[in-house]
Amino acid sequence: MYAYDTYDHALVRSRVAEFRDQVARRVKGDLTEEEFRPLRLMNGLYLQLHAYMLRVAVPYGTMSADQMRRLAHIARKYDKGYGHFTTRQNIQYNWPKLSETPDILDELADVEMHAIQTSGNCIRNVTTDQFAGATADEVADPRPYAELLRQWSTFHPEFSFLPRKFKFAITGAATDRAAVKWHDIGLIVRKNEVGAIGFEVLVGGGMGRTPVIGKTIREFLPEADFLSYQEAILRVYNEQGRRDNKYKARIKILVEAMGIDEFRRQVEEEWQRIKHIPIDVPAEEIARINAFFAPPPLPVLEDTVSAVDALARKNFVFAAWLKNNTNPHKVPGHVNVTISLKPHGGIPGDATDSQMDLVASLADTYSQSEIRVSHEQNLILPHVAKKDLPTLWSDLDKAGLGTANVGLLTDMIACPGLDYCALANARSIPIAQAITKRFDDMKRLQDIGPLKVKMSGCINSCGHHHAGHIGILGVDRKGEESYQLLLGGSGAEDATKAAILGPGFDEHGIVDALEKVVAVYLGVRKEGEEFLATYRRVGQQVFKEAVYDAA
Amino acid sequence: MAKKLTGPQMILANNLGDGRVVFFTSNGGWSASPAEAVYAEDEAAETLLAEANRSVTNNLIVGTELIGAVVTDGKPYPAHMKHVMQAKGPSVRTDLGYQVSTEWEAH
Repeated sequence: MYAYDTYDHALVRSRVAEFRDQVARRVKGDLTEEEFRPLRLMNGLYLQLHAYMLRVAVPYGTMSADQMRRLAHIARKYDKGYGHFTTRQNIQYNWPKLSETPDILDELADVEMHAIQTSGNCIRNVTTDQFAGATADEVADPRPYAELLRQWSTFHPEFSFLPRKFKFAITGAATDRAAVKWHDIGLIVRKNEVGAIGFEVLVGGGMGRTPVIGKTIREFLPEADFLSYQEAILRVYNEQGRRDNKYKARIKILVEAMGIDEFRRQVEEEWQRIKHIPIDVPAEEIARINAFFAPPPLPVLEDTVSAVDALARKNFVFAAWLKNNTNPHKVPGHVNVTISLKPHGGIPGDATDSQMDLVASLADTYSQSEIRVSHEQNLILPHVAKKDLPTLWSDLDKAGLGTANVGLLTDMIACPGLDYCALANARSIPIAQAITKRFDDMKRLQDIGPLKVKMSGCINSCGHHHAGHIGILGVDRKGEESYQLLLGGSGAEDATKAAILGPGFDEHGIVDALEKVVAVYLGVRKEGEEFLATYRRVGQQVFKEAVYDAA
Repeated sequence: MAKKLTGPQMILANNLGDGRVVFFTSNGGWSASPAEAVYAEDEAAETLLAEANRSVTNNLIVGTELIGAVVTDGKPYPAHMKHVMQAKGPSVRTDLGYQVSTEWEAH
């Protein structure tokens, strides 16, 4: 993992001290709310429906066991004993007191964490593949480049007041688990014919009220030009992105308006102009950052472990967990374990302080003290030896963290919705709870197979409903919560926008409608065909008829 | 943007210190209980808001907002779902928010 140097420490500590002073001045009355609001937002502090909300960055979704323990401690000491992991791989606390926020930030700084740039019209936390550096299907670990982006973008004076917020995602794997095509800039690590590292660069993706899939602006950007090219994109956006209308201010609108070819031309022109400025870091610096992410020295072990196979034969739930919640590792005899934060009937992404403590101690025992957060709101223990799986599963299961549903229908993304969020129009969590209760039968879930359900409580799309195989969007219809059903989206390498099926439903109707969609799929699928493939083959109409005609 | 409210209205805001939701009361104070809130209509509601905003100036309160109310037995209650949620606490965590207090029983 990356470790702060003296500059990082000084930067974060001085920010905390500055914010402490700003909070004191606010409480004393020397700052009005109007003056204070942008300052608190720059430090990740929102005012939500019930209280303040603090969003803490988990850079590229990677953290240590000690950092997780600190997150647990903060939940216990300053909040109400839990935190919420988000689709941006961050954690949110729902009840901090204003006066205690500087103390929280100091406690975070102790473990090299912060809430900087988790809000505001700046470059936000860079997200990546939750299995980065550990997955078998990877060209290279994307995290060193995510770290470079973090260093480059932190307090970047030119990009602190962009037309709108700006989100990067980067993956190094063939399978896109980071939804890179749905980001302002998406990066895919590639190797060229001579084995040199570079990046496919996509631009102008985004969800929200105008969903757009990113377009390739450059097929292969050499590693040596990594930062200067991003700078050129940001400069064109910063200058020409709309500032007159916040709903048209994201880069996706600019790219659509200009056309990708013209946008590319302007970026190239800008790039040629600024390339001589030493923005790009020398190869030695890339090597230095790479060294922080060196893979842990794992022994090559047997891939077949008889005790694991024996337990899987005996115990259906363990067998399901083994199948769904583990992912192949680079090193034989190891896997990456996904801890589902989607217990059936529970709140997607929430973890209690004691669960966080447990995950930290399990990471110390089984995963080289490393933990990841996925954009699908789960936690990952990378580098686990297969032989340890039975004990690990048993420990997780006892703490309510053994749900074997990763990648299945009940592994739903759901935003906090109207239960917490000031922007929401409808609740998300109760719908997720009703759906996961309805599909509580593991055998049925296994039979349905891989299916991504994603739900947002408003058009801002924090719950990625546009990218759901099945998406749900909550809206306010004449003062009542109403839920629209969308089908056929994908956040993966085959990214597509989901399409609205028809008129919305009430909170009970949406669960029934989803069940009808699943029934149609089970009826028309071919042998081994997953939901999305079936939908793409048969089209929307058959689902529409089943959902609306029978109603 | 927001439509002009008609009918009974009350004032919702957040405490500056802990961000918790409070309602403006008839004695010029603030209470977590919507039943203790003062309500008014039309111009009188605007006057109420101006009065409530003194708490903003005094750095006790942020985000004062006139919201629609329904009045039962002389006691106001938020009309819109979002404000009901704010008054009670999260519907999925009934162990949190004002809904756990014994006074909530009265609502």
